[in-house]
Amino acid sequence: MKRRFSPAFTAQLGLTLAVCGFLIVPVVQSVVAGLTENFMVGVKSGLTLRWFVKVWGLYRETIALSILIGLACLACALVLGVPAAYAMVKRQNRLTRLFEELLVTPLAVPGLAIALALIVHYGAFTAFRRSWAFILAGHVIFTLPFMVRSVIAIMHAIRLKDLEEGAASLGAGFGRRFVQIVIPNAVPGILAGALMVFTLSIGEFNLTWMLHTPQTKTLPVGLADSYASMRLEIGSAYTIVFFLMIIPLLVAMQWVAKPRPRTFVMEAIAPATALPDRRAVFPSAADRSDEPVTGSGTALRLQGCAKTFADGTRALEPFDLSVEAGETVVILGPSGCGKTTLLRIIAGLESPDPGGRVYFGGEDVTEVPIERRNVGMVFQSYALFPNMTVAENIAYGLKVRGVDTARRNRRVSQMLEMMKIGELRNRPIEQLSGGQKQRVALARAIAIRPRVLLLDEPLTALDAKLRDALRVEIDGLLRSLGITAIYVTHDQAEAMALGDRIVVMNIARVAQVGTPREIYFAPRTRFVAEFIGTINRLKGRVQGGRLILPGGSLPLPERVRGPADGEIELFFRPEHARLVDPGQGGLQATVAASFFMGDRTRLLLEGAAEGGLTIETAGNRCFRKGQRVEVVVEPDALLRLDA
Amino acid sequence: MENRNTLLLTAMFTPALVVFTAFFLLPLARLAVESSLGPSGVGIYIAAITTPRYLETLGYTVFLSASVTLVTLVVSGVSGVFLARNEFRGRSLLVSLLTFPLAFPGVVVGFMIILLAGRQGLIGDITGCLFGAKVVLAYSMTGLFLGYLYFSIPRTITTLMASAEKLDRSLEEAARSLGASPWRVTRDVLIPALVPGLISSGAICFATSMGAFGTAFTLATHIDVLPIVIYTEFTLMANIAMAAALSIFLGAITWAALSVARAVAGNTVAAAG
Ligand SMILES: Nc1ncnc2c1ncn2[C@@H]1O[C@H](COP(=O)(O)OP(=O)(O)O)[C@@H](O)[C@H]1O
Ligand SMILES: [Mg+2]
Repeated sequence: MKRRFSPAFTAQLGLTLAVCGFLIVPVVQSVVAGLTENFMVGVKSGLTLRWFVKVWGLYRETIALSILIGLACLACALVLGVPAAYAMVKRQNRLTRLFEELLVTPLAVPGLAIALALIVHYGAFTAFRRSWAFILAGHVIFTLPFMVRSVIAIMHAIRLKDLEEGAASLGAGFGRRFVQIVIPNAVPGILAGALMVFTLSIGEFNLTWMLHTPQTKTLPVGLADSYASMRLEIGSAYTIVFFLMIIPLLVAMQWVAKPRPRTFVMEAIAPATALPDRRAVFPSAADRSDEPVTGSGTALRLQGCAKTFADGTRALEPFDLSVEAGETVVILGPSGCGKTTLLRIIAGLESPDPGGRVYFGGEDVTEVPIERRNVGMVFQSYALFPNMTVAENIAYGLKVRGVDTARRNRRVSQMLEMMKIGELRNRPIEQLSGGQKQRVALARAIAIRPRVLLLDEPLTALDAKLRDALRVEIDGLLRSLGITAIYVTHDQAEAMALGDRIVVMNIARVAQVGTPREIYFAPRTRFVAEFIGTINRLKGRVQGGRLILPGGSLPLPERVRGPADGEIELFFRPEHARLVDPGQGGLQATVAASFFMGDRTRLLLEGAAEGGLTIETAGNRCFRKGQRVEVVVEPDALLRLDA
Repeated sequence: MENRNTLLLTAMFTPALVVFTAFFLLPLARLAVESSLGPSGVGIYIAAITTPRYLETLGYTVFLSASVTLVTLVVSGVSGVFLARNEFRGRSLLVSLLTFPLAFPGVVVGFMIILLAGRQGLIGDITGCLFGAKVVLAYSMTGLFLGYLYFSIPRTITTLMASAEKLDRSLEEAARSLGASPWRVTRDVLIPALVPGLISSGAICFATSMGAFGTAFTLATHIDVLPIVIYTEFTLMANIAMAAALSIFLGAITWAALSVARAVAGNTVAAAG
């Protein structure tokens, strides 16, 4: 759009170059002055390193002391700042928030005031006052906020909570999580903070000038001395030394801050036939020393598990659930109904309100933290560790359990083969597509032979086609492994395809528990009927065993008729009605809309019943709007439902 | 288990809190106490704002900082957006050069200004050749102004470049598609979107200028800024109470500037530091 050298472009470039000149010309001057015999004459007077030799003689101790203080300050900032930043991210309470606020104040209070305060307060401790530790104290206070903030920023950026929960579900405790997951993934932020701290400490003058003594002079203090001595060439040479010290630091900072180009990942769609490889699931004879992955599930029982969050949200009413060993139970419900909360209680990431208990087999695990519950967990965000390869991710839970390298490698190979991702073994996580990440997450969770496998909307982040392929695959996997699995989803098609049983939830409560067929054909409430598939409502008056509707009447079976004549509501599914030739006693209706869906056509009909009807018919017939049709509803499929 | 983690987290957080309290909070509190221990007690604060010399210095410092902030924002705003929006050969070199002085301590900045506009400086040489009279700016208010500009511009350009990169370009494209001229897009879309960034980096620029010591110290001008006065009160006159009172004044002003900016522009001020 914009022309390359439009006047606006030129003007802005001109201003930027002028600013650059203003900043850089004196730098060049100082370099020239420091390297020439006579700065008044310039380069013509000849180049020399004389001034550097002088600087070295006069000021080398200041350089050494600056580096010493810089490194000590860096060490303090790391030791104090990194754990504090982590604690502040993890525990958001009044104390940590107050401290976060306070940490900003050293930026607002001028260095001079901080230095004065330190002198007034600690000046009487002469030994301390005279040592370089006094300067160090000032530098630590001045630089600590930069370190803490840099680390906090990265911890917010890397979804630390997900990663930690992932590690905990694989058995890693507090210390292990901090060292193996938190620190490695926070490295860019720690590095940026460290460079900042060291650079700031090397160049700090405001505080240092007040805090220094003749025995403790740092580089900037020496610079001030050299400038005051009015020897421009020595001052210049010394300034060049300072430049040489900070240039590598600045270059490193730019390098750390540069966003790494992400490898572009093609979303590979799994072939429809990609069922898990059973040979991998049932290990071959050669592998028999290893216990099989199959049949590791335990029964699961929840008893009166309610959950009220600190803010008063009642996410779960007292909840009872029994799951047999090896069974796959799908928790289905609209968003926000408490599915994730329920899953997190089973996992041990949340504890139920007092009174609620969680049993694995016969064991009461309510008080057992997730890292000792031996559950496999697949997170919606996958929570794969970006600091490890695919194989290292899968092996992590085994490593935590102290499984030796040989067995670990064998199990990883087995899992990779089973999930058909052998070629990804040494890939970094960031190079995986969504579907591949999902497979790795699944492999990682299964590799530890969990007592219960927990999956929280594992397919939601994937596109429709991949979702279908992976659903088929997960179904096959859960069946062949015989693992106890709890699968959370808000997608009814997924629930139907996967579950041995489905638990339908509605706002913190169970609405119905049953097999997919029971839920679909015998929904107990209107909520369940409407949430799963489409349902039609017939509202009318019963008279002489028939239901009287706007479009005609229907014979009613005894089952749904009710004790007396009067108003009732009955329900049926779209596929339980068919179109008949005119004059066969069906309900009269007109076509309001038709949707061709390939194998069938979905019709919206008006006039037959209050609110209209949706029915399905063969795909090859054409309908136009306003066409008159006659519908018959199968009497056996009529349902009475509670509100 | 939850309780154990809480304990561990508290333990991780405690050392930083202890060090921070010992070497920052307590000394500052002590400074506040110390300021009122002089012969005039709490009256020192009244003396500080009624003595013409201090008042004049305060006025100079605020004026200097405010004008530097204004000029810095205009210059860095234009250059920052320009650099964020245009790709051309030499751009990254230009960015590196512009950000190089970021790590210079105040003394070095002062020295740079001496080299540029001092008695033997470049501007003096050029004007000497052209007009036969050397122009020496370094030791006047102009010298201070140039020095403060020198350390403010690199910081502000980097933060404003970052905020310009984060802006949603589709907003500007939408405005353009609705027929807005480049100037109107700048006025109606770009500047409003940059306002939080401008406020926060402006506040930091102001606070840094108020507290800057090294530059004025090196230039040794005859115009005193507040930090220099505090320094002389403390070292030369040994008037600890007055030095403490003035430091607290200075701290209060910069802290207030940052707080106001934070209230207006949201929490981004801290992040821009
Ligand atoms: N940590 C929390 N603090 C307060 N409320 C929460 C918390 N986590 C979830 N909730 C609330 O609990 C309810 C159930 O949430 P969730 O279990 O995540 O639902 P689902 O997974 O079914 O979408 C929601 O109203 C949600 O806002
Ligand atoms: Mg959820």
